[in-house]
Amino acid sequence: MRPLLAAALMLALAGPASAHRVNVFASVQDAADGTEVVLVEAKFSTGRIPALGEVRVEDAQGTVLATYPLQDGAARFPLDRDAAAGGLAITVSTDDDHEGYWLLTPSDLDSGGGS
Amino acid sequence: MIRAALAAVLLAAPAWAQDRPVIVADSYPMAYFAERLAGNAAEVRLSVPDGRDPSSWRPGLADVVAIQAADLIVLNGSGLSDWTTRAALPRARTVDTGRGLADDRIATETITHSHGEEGSHSHEGVATHTWLDFALAARQAEALAAAMARALPDAPVDASLGALLSDLATLDAAGDALTGGRTVPVIVSHPRYEYFGRAYGLAVEALDWEAGAAPDADALADLASRADRTSARILIWEAEPPTEARDAVAALGLSQVVLPPMATPPAEGDFVTGLRDGMAALGAAIAAGG
Repeated sequence: MRPLLAAALMLALAGPASAHRVNVFASVQDAADGTEVVLVEAKFSTGRIPALGEVRVEDAQGTVLATYPLQDGAARFPLDRDAAAGGLAITVSTDDDHEGYWLLTPSDLDSGGGS
Repeated sequence: MIRAALAAVLLAAPAWAQDRPVIVADSYPMAYFAERLAGNAAEVRLSVPDGRDPSSWRPGLADVVAIQAADLIVLNGSGLSDWTTRAALPRARTVDTGRGLADDRIATETITHSHGEEGSHSHEGVATHTWLDFALAARQAEALAAAMARALPDAPVDASLGALLSDLATLDAAGDALTGGRTVPVIVSHPRYEYFGRAYGLAVEALDWEAGAAPDADALADLASRADRTSARILIWEAEPPTEARDAVAALGLSQVVLPPMATPPAEGDFVTGLRDGMAALGAAIAAGG
């Protein structure tokens, strides 16, 4: 439910500026094994889902914590709350040279993705 | 006034450390309106660092944390601040003053390019500087006032709104008087003036010159070509150009006017005085034969 609320919020605040950009959203979800994962979702504003790309995860100091492959517009990675204490900056680069980002603040991490 | 204050306190402290409620604005016009409406009842901060354009600024995580903690977050909307769609903002404490302008927005020129598997495709956009149509700015001020009245019941919003709307109406009247009902062609140094041109009878031809840089020979040749094609005799700069740039444009026989678009705080004066003075200079140039 929390990610849905955050996604709705993102859409509500989204401006009409560009018709061709990568919208990125990230949220915290509970995995079946009891751990927490960050789900990254990317979509062009045209509605097309980027097939391939890379997800770069940075901490609040700009240190790259990890990179993950983006497949069919999504990526998942385990949430390390110690490393993410100051939040996470998540940047998606698609294989056709578009880039977008989402900023997960500490309060977002506690609420699932939105304030 | 507001420029120094905004730069000095730019998101320097979290909202909870302030005695007064904190309002964070995504652009100078919204910060100016908020300060006019709040008086001393709130601390108004500009989210964008001094000298940075809100349209291209990417905040850091600490910036977003501070913004999320504000009592009220004020956005121009209309796609001005890209970052506002790349972080979660608290819906109950965020006001998009451009929300009611959907039918008034201006689509910008489509840029087509080719890369990747998608092949040739287009990027379309919307002009963002809505406040340069002062009638639209007044509607944004009214939307902001309504949000502030809810969020800050102690602020003298109702009393302040009338004075702000009066100033905007004065600017609007000055805009209406610029061309005497004609359509006057002008060239602008950067694509910021779509709403201004539409509202006040200017046929705007936009260059994309970097602020503060001197145009090279190709850029000047392009300017000359556009001036011939459009019959424009006036170039509007968004900021005072380098002397060599002003001299080079003067050699083409064009009048030159500085009209700050105000997305960022002006070097001198404020939103009202800066635009008033810029429009006075533009009116003089038009009257002189522009």
